[in-house]
Amino acid sequence: MLNEDRIILMTRMASYEENEGKKNVSIGSYFRGDYIGLQVIKSVISATIAFALLVTLAVTYDIGSFMQDIYKLDLLQIGKNLLIVYVVMVSIYIAISYFIYSYRYNVAKRSLKCYFNNLKELNSLYEEEKK
Amino acid sequence: MTNLLVLKEHLKSFYGKNEIYIIPLVKFLVALVTLLVINGRLGYMTQLNNILVVLVIALMCSFLPMNMIIVVAAATVILHLYKLSIESAAVTAMLFLLLFLLYFRFSPKDTMVVVLTPVCFFLQIPYVIPITMGLVGTPSSIISVGSGVIVYYLLAHIGAGTTTLNATDVEGTTQKFRYIIDGVIGNKAMLVTIAAFAITILLVYMIRRKSVDHAWTIAIIAGAIANVLVLLVGDLIFDTKISILATILGTFISVGISFVIQFFLFNMDYTRTEMVQFEDDEYYYYVKAVPKIIVSTPEKRVKKINPQRTREEISRATRTK
Repeated sequence: MLNEDRIILMTRMASYEENEGKKNVSIGSYFRGDYIGLQVIKSVISATIAFALLVTLAVTYDIGSFMQDIYKLDLLQIGKNLLIVYVVMVSIYIAISYFIYSYRYNVAKRSLKCYFNNLKELNSLYEEEKK
Repeated sequence: MTNLLVLKEHLKSFYGKNEIYIIPLVKFLVALVTLLVINGRLGYMTQLNNILVVLVIALMCSFLPMNMIIVVAAATVILHLYKLSIESAAVTAMLFLLLFLLYFRFSPKDTMVVVLTPVCFFLQIPYVIPITMGLVGTPSSIISVGSGVIVYYLLAHIGAGTTTLNATDVEGTTQKFRYIIDGVIGNKAMLVTIAAFAITILLVYMIRRKSVDHAWTIAIIAGAIANVLVLLVGDLIFDTKISILATILGTFISVGISFVIQFFLFNMDYTRTEMVQFEDDEYYYYVKAVPKIIVSTPEKRVKKINPQRTREEISRATRTK
């Protein structure tokens, strides 16, 4: 027999699964550390590519004088400076992404908790019906 | 006013009923306008300027997720620039990649603003963007709007230097790179615009969250004035050569559009504001409750002159035959 409460609950849950829940469910399938770790690794890769792009742009911008002075330049010192800039950039980026993704994880977990409560309620509705 | 409110209710119910068609239509229109603006401004690759191609791409966008419009727009821009000079295409592609890597990985929802900001610039109504983002967004929208402004100035700069970039000598490759990068980094008009938009977004956001009456209206007007002021002061200090008349005219139009947005998103009846105070064990509450303006739409009643027969009755009637 059709149970109106159950249908309303199921519709609401299906709509959640279809929209905002989709992302949350995938986030919720990770442990906190795993999720944040994965995102931080992705951020490191992004930051590295971005850094490489910036260096390429800077070099192409000044390629004439760069090629002329290449034997006079202290390449080791330049390399060191670049490394420092790279480390600073990646660290800032890691800090930002850690902050953002731990916040997102918490929000997703809270929202999923509500969803699981609904699941339980649905289960109890089925149980009641069986009796 | 009542008529407008009734119209709003009608529109709402129309949207509710036909959402499934309206969303693809909106996507189609956004993609179409974006592509037409890009083709109108850049248009170096003639194959892409064909209206049939534009229509087909826009139609494809209407079925794809919203963010695909950005990918398509970026690809179109890069293809046009590739036809002009490979250097400009390379720098632009790098800029797009940087934007994606550094920021939009975090907030894919905001990406549309990066497309809409240059489009609004080309349509001469750029000031609608900071005001609207202040109304519906958060302060983090400053980054997306700022990125949009950078994209616009890059494209405008490339468009202005077509002859320099079109030169085919190999020696000029570095010069071309320099020309493009200098145009972005040393562009004071761009920096002033970013500053003005950032201040506008912050101001509008801060005011519209206050609990004063007519907060949204005050926010829109204050934001518009702040925007014009910062642009004019920036013009005086850095000699950015902005057109004062165009700025003021564009601001007026933007304020008008913002009021339309306000009408649809935030419509309060301040005459019926209620201020209540109460307490529980831990807090005192000073609550201000402002009711929304709601009108009931006049219902259409269909009077049936001939009583309609149900399906069962019809089938019974046919069976007896």
